[in-house]
Amino acid sequence: MTIEVGTPLPAATLVRLGDDGPEAIDTRDYVAGRKVVLFGLPGAFSGTCSTSHVPSFMRTAEAFREKGIDEIICVSVNDAFVMKAWGEATGATAAGLTFLADADASLTKALGMEFSVPVLGFYDRSNRYALVLDDGIVTVANVDEPNTCNLSTGESLLEAMAI
Amino acid sequence: MIAVGDRVPSGTLRWKDGEGGVHAQDITERCAGRTVVLFGLPGAFTPTCDGAHLPGFIRVADDLRGAGVDEIICLSVNDVHVMKLWGEQSGAEDAGIAMLADGDGSLARAMGLAWSNADVGFHDRSRRYAMLLVDGVVKVMHLDELGVCAVSTGEAMLEDVKSAL
Repeated sequence: MTIEVGTPLPAATLVRLGDDGPEAIDTRDYVAGRKVVLFGLPGAFSGTCSTSHVPSFMRTAEAFREKGIDEIICVSVNDAFVMKAWGEATGATAAGLTFLADADASLTKALGMEFSVPVLGFYDRSNRYALVLDDGIVTVANVDEPNTCNLSTGESLLEAMAI
Repeated sequence: MIAVGDRVPSGTLRWKDGEGGVHAQDITERCAGRTVVLFGLPGAFTPTCDGAHLPGFIRVADDLRGAGVDEIICLSVNDVHVMKLWGEQSGAEDAGIAMLADGDGSLARAMGLAWSNADVGFHDRSRRYAMLLVDGVVKVMHLDELGVCAVSTGEAMLEDVKSAL
């Protein structure tokens, strides 16, 4: 399956590292009533994700806000501790991006985005995608082919929103 | 569960080098004919692992080598990218500690040390332990109770490694 415009974001549990440790987040509750950009990628600290994908949303964060986006969320199949460390290391947290962990890959699987690369230690990770959600409904979906980072960049999503 | 006198089970270790190349080796091959301290923990960048367990081994790394240890290995159920960055940021790489990935947790399971805590988002991770392996056979085993880092610390291992070697 793939992600289709007009469908709701699937129900799943993500994890955020709060002040008192990991906190569970219900995806549907989290995005309800707001305009949100959500992008997914294979893994924290991996080459393309750190050098290309995340920076593309740091560059475009302000432009998204000007278009009425309330929050930009990066989701990866890592744990909340790794996601927090990654957000800090990339400067993306400081740029206002939110990092949420899909620790059990439940959202990634519900979106049909999962893939595995055993030689890297990647199991049920996520292909690259970027979505615009309006009150939980997908209004723009840019899904990349495996091993590419084109359609799901901040710039490409911004362009797709304008059309 | 693995214990003193047991041979370390077969399982794949993976790591990323400075140029981004990914390598794999079976742990039995890596430990053959060598003296190795292997310590495992729940996860990279977590408070206790990053704040206590790993720093302890960084502190005693030179002393362990001085006692006759050929290699110190930190093993976690994380991927190679995460382990590489954690090694760089924590100073473990500079201390000569090998930061190796048990990506699918198969080695943790084979040793009977697998552990999950779904509330935290940890699935099939590893319990906290440290062991001395001589030619692949466990000579010292320190296994911590869940949620603590007490007996598997670098300092505690150093004492027993000195006695055992």
